[in-house]
Amino acid sequence: MLKDYTSIPVEADSLRPDKITGLSRDQILALPLYHGNKTVTVGDFFEVQETGGDTLVIEGDLSKFKKLGQEMEGGRLVVRGNAGMHLGAYLRGGTIEVFGDTADWAGAEMKGGLIHIHGNTGHRAGAVYRGSEVGMHGGVILVDGNAGLEIGSFMRRGLIAVGGNAGDFAGAHMIAGSILVMGEMGVRAGASMRRGTLVTLKPFEPLPTFRDSGAYRFPFLRLFTDRLHSRGFRVPADVEQSLFRRFVGDMNEIGLGEILILEGRDHDG
Amino acid sequence: MTEVFKNVTCPFCGVVCDDLQVKVENGVITEAKRGCVLGRYTFLKYDGDRATMRIDGKPATLDECIEAAVEILDESTFPLIYGLASTECDAQRKAVELADLIGSTIDTTSSVCHSPTLQAIQHMGDSTCTVGEIKNRSRLLIFWGCNPAESHPRHFSRYSVTPVGRFVPEGRKGRYVVNVDVRKTPSARAADLFIQVPPGKDYEVISTLRALVNGRPVDAAEVAGVKIEILRDLAERMKSVKFGSLFWGMGLTMSRGKHMNVMAMLQLARDLNQYTKFTASPMRGHGNVVGAATVLSYTTGYPFGINLGRGYPQYGPGEFTSVDVLARGEADAALIIAADAVGNFPAAAASHLKKIPTIAIDPKESMTTKTANIVIATAVSGIETGGTVYRMDGIPLPLTKIMDSDYPSDLDVLSRIIAGIRRRRGLTETETLHADAENHQRTSL
Repeated sequence: MLKDYTSIPVEADSLRPDKITGLSRDQILALPLYHGNKTVTVGDFFEVQETGGDTLVIEGDLSKFKKLGQEMEGGRLVVRGNAGMHLGAYLRGGTIEVFGDTADWAGAEMKGGLIHIHGNTGHRAGAVYRGSEVGMHGGVILVDGNAGLEIGSFMRRGLIAVGGNAGDFAGAHMIAGSILVMGEMGVRAGASMRRGTLVTLKPFEPLPTFRDSGAYRFPFLRLFTDRLHSRGFRVPADVEQSLFRRFVGDMNEIGLGEILILEGRDHDG
Repeated sequence: MTEVFKNVTCPFCGVVCDDLQVKVENGVITEAKRGCVLGRYTFLKYDGDRATMRIDGKPATLDECIEAAVEILDESTFPLIYGLASTECDAQRKAVELADLIGSTIDTTSSVCHSPTLQAIQHMGDSTCTVGEIKNRSRLLIFWGCNPAESHPRHFSRYSVTPVGRFVPEGRKGRYVVNVDVRKTPSARAADLFIQVPPGKDYEVISTLRALVNGRPVDAAEVAGVKIEILRDLAERMKSVKFGSLFWGMGLTMSRGKHMNVMAMLQLARDLNQYTKFTASPMRGHGNVVGAATVLSYTTGYPFGINLGRGYPQYGPGEFTSVDVLARGEADAALIIAADAVGNFPAAAASHLKKIPTIAIDPKESMTTKTANIVIATAVSGIETGGTVYRMDGIPLPLTKIMDSDYPSDLDVLSRIIAGIRRRRGLTETETLHADAENHQRTSL
């Protein structure tokens, strides 16, 4: 449990369940954290209440704590409060669940595992870091609330589902993978995408470099929704029976991506 | 006594004209021949509105200011060093050394102007050249979201629109000039074609232009209010010219889409090089802002928004950029050098800057010096000091020391602050640097 709030960022990449498993209370308290330009310990900021098992639960306002669960390979991290930047960046396995909001870069360039954010997330969830070639390339990010700009940019594989709205450039430069936005999607979603699927349940106007390829029902959406339901993410039950307008693009690239926009829930077509 | 300095480099804007002739009569600059209105003002009025040394508003000596600055920076946990655009490269390098020593965040004015360009280049690469190449070869010039007629007055006459080039002997008549912007500016008057784009719609237009260049189908009759025929004609002109050049300014970098707008621009240049030779160049603003990015890049690997708190550089646009670090209330001390942060930052960032101990190093009074706790007045780079400055195309040029000064240079001040912190920590000249460095392991970020 967090003892004290700090306005100065703390880099907390040592707080990973897979690294803490098997450590004694004293060993956990002695793990390093980086508070601005000072090296401090977990004990300077946290009380450790219980040890054992492969689940790490952290309570408090951790909005200034960056890199929680970064590069995690297994176990379960639960944050009861807000979390700072780079939560679960480069995640390889395990589960992260946040009962609060997260800042930018959640799940950036992750390779596997699951991140479920029950509040909102900032910009570039599952996206690429500057200068890298590939964003998220595996795993699942679920956001019950809203997401910021450029979610899943340059993503290569995996699934991002947003229960609320998403900012501009969702799935920009996407190489492959799937993004579902149940609320409004900001402008220029799918810009320069090569392959991959963007699905939105609200009206959306694609860039002029996408081409209308008609309205269809997509049986594969059942797989989508089943997978999401199994992970506790609610999607309207009739989505797989609904009619979607399909736009293909981005024609500036190889044009094998698609944006599916819910057109109507008229089950008779 | 009259002295005339020839081939003087102007430190004001990114064009960095290096052909000025400056006359000094009885210790006063009386003439700056060939300078534009901005350059002439820079030289003729260089001594106006000078800053004074002070601590908490009271006059102080240089030694007292240095000592107070050392104490603030040495005791800070999350210090910020910001600015660097209006000083020379040796001082910039010294600022990086100071950042390394105290484990600071270091950022330049790029983060509020062309940082999206730098980020876009990191993803896309750039098809670029020197301004000399543009002058000698380019026959199609497209200025997008910029107004060089007012911001870079001699760009048109020295490098782009009107000069006679080796392979453009007709000068202006041999060139076709396009201006794309949200409104008509004086630059539009110099253009053969003006295309008006609604604010925040540049990405759509650039993206469509890419599709037309690549012969991809576009169903729309107009995009963002621009008729598709106009874009189709422009695309054909771009493909058929022997050598063309794209330029962009803050109309692209600071409008909706930011780095994505620039990425589209770089992609457009890349696409065009399938058909002809096309270059893409940002219209960088302040005199040595390119130098700041260059120096930070060769010392840390990154051009702006860098944190050295863990003893090695971490790059974080949006994370370690000054406006973000201040607006989130994270920095607990700041050193502003050769820039006016308070005058240019959004209210939330400027407001936090006023709350924390701030040191301003600047030759002139500014909104930042007016609110800083410690003001260290320095010599004017490029007039009272020599040094090196980088032109907007990345070419380094020498500055000329024209006038003697009673003020220390930025380099001197930074060197003295570094020496003071080393003394305070009991470090020798060669000992490093960030005390915690050996405790830290490099991560992949």
